[in-house]
Amino acid sequence: MRIARLKIENFRSTKALDMELGETTVLIGPNNAGKTSILDAVRIVLTRRWGQRGTGFTEYDVHLASESDDPKESTGIAIELHSEEQVAGEWPDALQQDLDDIAQTDPTTGKSFITLRASCAWNAAEGAFLPAWIFLNAAREPMIGQSARRMNLERFWQYLPVFYLGALRDADDEFSARSQFWGRLLKAMEIPTALEQRVQRVLDLLNRRLLQADPRLVQIAKTLSGATRVAARDRDGGVELRFVPLKSWDLLSKAEIILRNEPDWPWLPLQHHGQGVQSLSVIFLFQAFVEHLLAELYKADSEPVLALEEPETHLHPQAARTLWAHVNALPGQKIITTHSPYFVQHVPFRDLRLIRRTDNGTEVKWLPPNFLARIPYVPALDQVLANNPGLLEFDLAGQTITVNGKLEDAVYRDLLSCYGTHTDCAVIHGILCDLRDRSLLFIDNDELRALETFARRIRGEIFFATRWMIVEGQAEYLIVHVLARELGYDLDEHGVSLMDAMNNGNPTTFAVLARALGIPWLTVFDGDAAGDGYTQTITNRDFDPAFVAQRCRTHPAGDLEDQLLADGLEAELRGVLQSLGHTDALTIDMPTLEKRLEKNKTAYAAELAKQLRGNTALAKRMPQGFKDAIADLRGLT
Amino acid sequence: MNGTPLDIALAKLTDIQREAVKWDQGAMLVLAGPGSGKTQVLTCRIAHLLNDSREDNFRVLALTFTNKAADEMKRRVATFVPGLEERANIGTFHSFCGQVLRQHGVHLGIKPDFTIYAQDDDRRAVMEDALARAAFEGKAVSSDDIRYLKLIDQMKAPLIEPQDAEARLSHLAERERVALVYQAYEEELRRLNALDFNSLILEAHRLVTTYPAIAARYKRSHPYWLLDEFQDTNDAQYRLIRAMAGDEFHNVFAVADDDQIIYQWNGASFRQIQRLRADFSAQLIQLPTNYRCPPAIVEAANHLVVYNVQRTEAKKPLIAGKIALKYPESEHIQVREFESEEDEAEAIAQEIAARGFDQWGQITVLARTRALLERMHKALQAKNVPAVIAQRRDDFLSPEFRWLAACLAQILRPLDRRNINVLMEAFNRMAEIEIAVDQIMSEAEATGEGYLSVWLQAARAEVAASPKENLLDLIRQLAADPSAARKLINDVLNVFDSALSDEQTDPDLAEDLAAWREISRDMARHLGRNIPLDQFLQQLQLRSKEPSPQPGTVTLMTVHGAKGREFDIVYVIGLAEDIMPSYQSRQKGDNSPEMEEERRNCFVAITRAKESLILSRANRYRGWQKQPSRFLVEMELADSA
Repeated sequence: MRIARLKIENFRSTKALDMELGETTVLIGPNNAGKTSILDAVRIVLTRRWGQRGTGFTEYDVHLASESDDPKESTGIAIELHSEEQVAGEWPDALQQDLDDIAQTDPTTGKSFITLRASCAWNAAEGAFLPAWIFLNAAREPMIGQSARRMNLERFWQYLPVFYLGALRDADDEFSARSQFWGRLLKAMEIPTALEQRVQRVLDLLNRRLLQADPRLVQIAKTLSGATRVAARDRDGGVELRFVPLKSWDLLSKAEIILRNEPDWPWLPLQHHGQGVQSLSVIFLFQAFVEHLLAELYKADSEPVLALEEPETHLHPQAARTLWAHVNALPGQKIITTHSPYFVQHVPFRDLRLIRRTDNGTEVKWLPPNFLARIPYVPALDQVLANNPGLLEFDLAGQTITVNGKLEDAVYRDLLSCYGTHTDCAVIHGILCDLRDRSLLFIDNDELRALETFARRIRGEIFFATRWMIVEGQAEYLIVHVLARELGYDLDEHGVSLMDAMNNGNPTTFAVLARALGIPWLTVFDGDAAGDGYTQTITNRDFDPAFVAQRCRTHPAGDLEDQLLADGLEAELRGVLQSLGHTDALTIDMPTLEKRLEKNKTAYAAELAKQLRGNTALAKRMPQGFKDAIADLRGLT
Repeated sequence: MNGTPLDIALAKLTDIQREAVKWDQGAMLVLAGPGSGKTQVLTCRIAHLLNDSREDNFRVLALTFTNKAADEMKRRVATFVPGLEERANIGTFHSFCGQVLRQHGVHLGIKPDFTIYAQDDDRRAVMEDALARAAFEGKAVSSDDIRYLKLIDQMKAPLIEPQDAEARLSHLAERERVALVYQAYEEELRRLNALDFNSLILEAHRLVTTYPAIAARYKRSHPYWLLDEFQDTNDAQYRLIRAMAGDEFHNVFAVADDDQIIYQWNGASFRQIQRLRADFSAQLIQLPTNYRCPPAIVEAANHLVVYNVQRTEAKKPLIAGKIALKYPESEHIQVREFESEEDEAEAIAQEIAARGFDQWGQITVLARTRALLERMHKALQAKNVPAVIAQRRDDFLSPEFRWLAACLAQILRPLDRRNINVLMEAFNRMAEIEIAVDQIMSEAEATGEGYLSVWLQAARAEVAASPKENLLDLIRQLAADPSAARKLINDVLNVFDSALSDEQTDPDLAEDLAAWREISRDMARHLGRNIPLDQFLQQLQLRSKEPSPQPGTVTLMTVHGAKGREFDIVYVIGLAEDIMPSYQSRQKGDNSPEMEEERRNCFVAITRAKESLILSRANRYRGWQKQPSRFLVEMELADSA
């Protein structure tokens, strides 16, 4: 069992958020965007002793739109966890039977699901924020009666134990005898009584030998025993020196990890290794805990939820890159935050969630495989559903339509016409329109696969960018990068990802990706057939032509070389070629020059970029398309 | 004897009882005569299944017919296997259907907090609204059509859905109209999110037949089913079981006695037992040994029942198994004869009075009709013998408790116009005031305030500075914080309680108070102390509002009420032709199914006695000469006329 869907309302930086969670979900976004509060929401719902006094949220947890808002006026915090079978019968019998009171069944698919809603709102009579929890039925209404018994909540927790590894993982703490994994593992170890007694004898013997090693030790003990004579009333106590642990449990509790990175290096305790190794070892400790102790402490069918912050902490890029595979293979469900492009590099697109803070609070963007909307059922729907098997699904109890892909105009219109005479026609048309608009963001698996193949090199970092500027090739890349800095808008500094689309797939995919992820973007293409083609394919992906006209620039004179020459940079280009070793560069005729430039595209661009550095006058003479685009990047939303 | 309570209980069983208890997979029919320890077999089996699967989480489903029987089974299971009773899902057919619909009814548009309308007044009001609405929508119905309510009940009971009504009523000229009315009534119930008693089974059946996934899920979570008093299941209940089980599921363990079918009029039939054996390929175990009655009664019962032909073939006669007998043999069966029904009542009352307080609580008087019981009741009261006629009560007797129940309902359903009516009328009677219902309704609708709060203000002005004001305060607090219901309801009960001790005694209020406290206690024990208000109310609607008798009270019952009960001393009165057997059954003929049902009534009546059975008759009833009951003759306790 795992969490399939998470809804958060009015919690810290989040006003309203609804996200799907997979086996592994990776949250990325700037500091303070609300990533940790998403982890906290899951953690609190699954661990806090709901319903007991003082266990709810505090006024600091309530989302406030502005400084002057009163948390007591808020409708309150609500967090909903939805768990659902991926295929009917997936949940084991024992789990299904144990959670019978709260599990709902989808009557058509037979899939079981459970929805838990935890909430907290100000109660004036009690003068406190009162916590509450309830399981919801298929219509997302509270389930009452025996389903509302507290034992159901406790049982639910047993099957979904949550563990949290914060960004500041300290190996000293995590490998202490009182820690959540290590301490419990050690305590669970079973030492046969015979061995325990033998160990005890050996320990005692060792201690005696050590004590006898230097006569001064006995004297020291004697002196110290004065303490008991002062404290005790009549009978003498005693003082002994103990060099080895008193009991075998003490021995175990002092167990520590020693390791070496290479076979011929010395063994060293974990604490003497680098921070990266320490941090990593804590993650693997979790795995050991799950493998050896989880079923014993929880249920045989329990599946852990691991909330993991920044697994890449202190790791070398190479290690961060391979870490993904290890973390992904950890047992149970993982919700991970990261700031590492290297870590993200191998995360499948659909597992990524871009978290950012907007005027509306924390917001999440991702590439969903389907889109949902709540609309009432009408009999006319049946025909439309039957005409579009695979694309459309309707959940009667939840009154929810699901679109598995893009809602084409014809289907959209069929849906609209189902509600032509409905009393809430206007409202429903509004909902359907919004559904259609959202479904335009759909990107299918084939396109994503192509992107995985070509864009691996840059895909780590582009998700961390605040804006995208898409150009055709490497030459443009080299020039624009320097040009922007010369124009006072350093792309790196402003979080702009400059991408050369031709080396990484195609510009259209980047445009639809940017749209789906809510990343502002613009392009500059060559003013030739190919460039016009790119603009056209982008337009064909349901972009507003006016918007495309504004975002997709082309060089009026043709390709980059044409434009540079048209901008009167012939002398500079000849100079560049000359410095690249083309001795005839100053004399060749124009067609040859153009051909030469095209042939040495990257090289001349790199040289031109070098000359551009610190040369404001030259920068001013660069193609207008670039300059305009760079200017537009400022404040682009 | 050492061991767990379950070990001890198992050790006390007979071999054949133990065989039934330890039955593993597959269908089983246990034919269990009266006093054969069937409840012990059922509860031991539940406990045994749970005990053998301590590592598992599955539940055991056990269905019976009364809440009392269910509570008793829960109590015993909890004693046998403490801590495991949580996995025993024991209830009545109706409460189980309620549970299924609460959890999954949403797929039929039923919200979890549905109301159950058990009383005819409520249902008539629903029908009135339904007809008004249908008429307004231009359908061909009129307010007279309320007369079809009974017909609709008769269709719902055998699971005839509205869309099939017309076809099924082919003999009826007005079938189209009836179907229309039925449809309107069902729609109105849905609109109110309400169910009547018949809907519980009908909707549950519709749910599991429309969505087999739901049935599959119950089979998975409840792999063993036990059915108590299976002989009394009607066709609808049987079809529900059948639909849930489907073709593959066979783990049905039914306990039945076809000689104790007394609900033939409600569709119970020995054929149900045959169906079970055929549909589920059930094995058969017979438990003929009777551990309740003295041998003379067992013998009489055997003599009696062989006159019936509609019963399981090869059914074994009862075997007397009771060892310790309190009274000498001469007192095991006695027959009394009187001149008139007045004499009968007078003399029996005299005899009972003479037995004294110590025995009264263990005495029951059984009769075929309520009229005889009422006469008996008067005669006992005249002799200062505390006595009570036991009968299921669907509603409280006193306005105080009707008001309290209505207040709780109003808090849960603030927009319920019908309920606010009940609430106001009850309070008007309680407080002897006249708050006009219409006025409150229109004021609430004008101001947009809730009905309850508008009424509270109006009522407060009327009863200011009287103890009733305190009640209004408590309801106001309750409305503000339903989670404190438990404490606040208790405060209300205490107000009623002190009113009882202050003023002149009000027997209705006293009984209701005792009943409410008993119901709350039972619910707290079996459903938890802090059940939410909505569940409390649903349970309240399902349960009888009749308190258990005080200690030392003689219980008077019809035979139907005595089902499943036992008493040390049993009086069966009115054993004359036209009384038991009834006039109607005689009209149907000596070999009619009705006459057999009468005979089973007699069989059930006499087998309630643990120590002593007194059978009485008069020569005249209502002035008419009556022959001794043929059953006396068949039992070989009287000579044929």
